[in-house]
Amino acid sequence: TAALYGVSFSGLYLQQPIQEVYVENTYRMGPEPGCHFSASRTQQILQAILDSYLEGVCYSPDSCSQLCQMLADLVLSKLKDVNPPRYKLVCQVVVGQSGKQGIRMASRSLMNPNTDNYTSAVFHNHSLFAVALVHGLYFE
Amino acid sequence: MDEDQSAEETTFVVEEITTVIKEAVESTIGNSSYQHSKINQWMSSIVESSLSQLTKLGKPFKYIVTCIILQKNGAGLHTASSCFWDNSTDGSCTVRWENKTIYCIVSVFGLAI
Repeated sequence: TAALYGVSFSGLYLQQPIQEVYVENTYRMGPEPGCHFSASRTQQILQAILDSYLEGVCYSPDSCSQLCQMLADLVLSKLKDVNPPRYKLVCQVVVGQSGKQGIRMASRSLMNPNTDNYTSAVFHNHSLFAVALVHGLYFE
Repeated sequence: MDEDQSAEETTFVVEEITTVIKEAVESTIGNSSYQHSKINQWMSSIVESSLSQLTKLGKPFKYIVTCIILQKNGAGLHTASSCFWDNSTDGSCTVRWENKTIYCIVSVFGLAI
């Protein structure tokens, strides 16, 4: 182990060596009871966010890309508060103009059905539609 | 746990995944025009073949594959995603594909176990 403060030959201070953090094994095989990813609670949060932020908003190509990113970050921050420990979150938001086009969105995942889950919420008004999709995956 | 696993096996490699997805999309909707009746079938086929190819890579990852198929009509679309994960091992990639009548956007998220 190197000294905390050292001086090299050129007279410049050596950087303090970064100590590697070793975390002990928890020997935990699955989430604790009551600590699972709650799809219904997440769905309520998603729907509430979409409804409150998109009520009466009109689609415009310039502002909607920022709106979309902002919604994604907002959903993530709201979910981080209620997120059970050891769960990773993936959140996708799609915002599109309500034209006469056909659109379809599908998703499939490779995950553990005992511990992982996903949920989605949809919002639409006369000029735009929005879909929010969240997956919660347990980190083994 | 195998301590000798090389770094390649446990990080998300974007180029490899992109190739796999492009192949899956090309083989399903290669030259077709948008047909409402066939959309369900195309979606299932793209997503399932992508996922099965990804599992064949044999890496210790959980995958999420999302596919959006959109008719070209002049309407605008934006997608954004935000993730709460470990930056050193997890990653995502998005493949945009289009032909004369269809836009197809496939996103893959890979999370290390």
